[in-house]
Amino acid sequence: MLDLRVLEPCSLQSSLAACADSQVLGTAPPTFKLPAVADLDGFQKAAVQMVKPAKGTTTLAFVFKHGVIVAADSRASMGNYISSQTVKKILEINRYLLGTMAGGAADCQFWQRNLGTRCRLHELANKRRISVAGASKLLANTLYSYRGMGLSMGTMIAGWDESGPGLYYVDSEGGRVEGKRFSVGSGSTYAYGVLDTGFRFDMTVDEAVELARRAIYHATFRDGASGGVASVYYVGPQGFKKMSGDDVGELHYKYYPVPEATVEAEMEDVTTS
Amino acid sequence: SIMSYNGGVVIAMKGKGCVAIAADRRLGVRGHTVAMDFQKIFEMGPHLYVGLPGLATDTITVAQRLKFRLNMYELRENRRITPKTFASVVANLLYERRFGPYFVEPVIAGIDTKTGEPYICNTDLIGCLNEPDDFVVSGTCVEQAFGMCEALWEPDLEPLDLFETISQALVNAFDRDAMSGWGAVVHVIEKDKVTVRTVKTRMD
Repeated sequence: MLDLRVLEPCSLQSSLAACADSQVLGTAPPTFKLPAVADLDGFQKAAVQMVKPAKGTTTLAFVFKHGVIVAADSRASMGNYISSQTVKKILEINRYLLGTMAGGAADCQFWQRNLGTRCRLHELANKRRISVAGASKLLANTLYSYRGMGLSMGTMIAGWDESGPGLYYVDSEGGRVEGKRFSVGSGSTYAYGVLDTGFRFDMTVDEAVELARRAIYHATFRDGASGGVASVYYVGPQGFKKMSGDDVGELHYKYYPVPEATVEAEMEDVTTS
Repeated sequence: SIMSYNGGVVIAMKGKGCVAIAADRRLGVRGHTVAMDFQKIFEMGPHLYVGLPGLATDTITVAQRLKFRLNMYELRENRRITPKTFASVVANLLYERRFGPYFVEPVIAGIDTKTGEPYICNTDLIGCLNEPDDFVVSGTCVEQAFGMCEALWEPDLEPLDLFETISQALVNAFDRDAMSGWGAVVHVIEKDKVTVRTVKTRMD
């Protein structure tokens, strides 16, 4: 067996208590040091409260005839403060798998990157791409093992595998459900309204993209914690493609243009010769 | 938090012989935006305006109660109130409710019609007056608004420049606040006229 420990980042090398083989292969979950504090329970409680953001976001995904559409806004808020309007909430796990971010940004970024690593290892070990069901199960099992420790994630795993389009919702409570249409975040109720009204299974790709864009726009319009840029991705048999990224401030005036105020003509003196 | 339940922000600035007062137009219920045409700035005299950010029900109630006191003053004194005196009326009304306050933090902007002197001030929710020479802010994004005003304001701005300055300060401040925005209204008060403009803003 090749000794691949040289490739590990230093933090993983620190804990060799776990099985040596799985550490070397990278299939064991990352190990995290616990804080050396007198009242660990109290500290954990405070930490959970601090990191607990109210999933201020709008993300949605749906399956239709030609594949899967995934869309999200780009606002990050810390309470009332808008910390960023340019957050990438659709994470590219690999060329045919997308994940969405809702809840703790760091949690989503880290664990979905970790998922990408493990999907790649699955490919190398099994000589075939991992299914969407398998990828979402990997993530769900990882999150379940951290249940109660304060991770906050409400993510959708969307992709295309041998059995066609796949869409799963996975969250930090350990839940995993398969479905054809999901919206996650504080703006999800507004997005559902638009999405459910306009949905037809046999839409064209362009119609589906426009529906998703409109749903995200309407959510950003009504929800205080959503805004920024509405990104829409399409996942088809060839993998994912970013279809559009429109600033919702501009989308508003495109969908609801302000009518030009009619200017009264000024009275002019008519010259008489 | 009660003060951020409905959201909103008001800014007022002094210029050369003029004042400007501006507010956002959102009325929300926590994250949900309910209205985009909610009035937070009220006319209390031909050159005297008060902005009332905070809990929306108190915005409406305090505006109505102030109007009543103002009308009584004008009937008794048979003259228009000066901005400085009006500020004291506001402070008094708020302190009367010291142990069960109105959840508004008013911003007052006006021009003394006799002297032409511009006047701005703001108070906290129990009536402590603050009368600076430059600008006042109040609402859910005060930190952002202070930063913008501090950066953009300079003394002796002409009315049109003051309009530009206060608009940019307000819009860029509430674009960083999830609880304010969805439109802006700006009043520029000069000695002889008042100009009201609505500003085209991001609606997210």
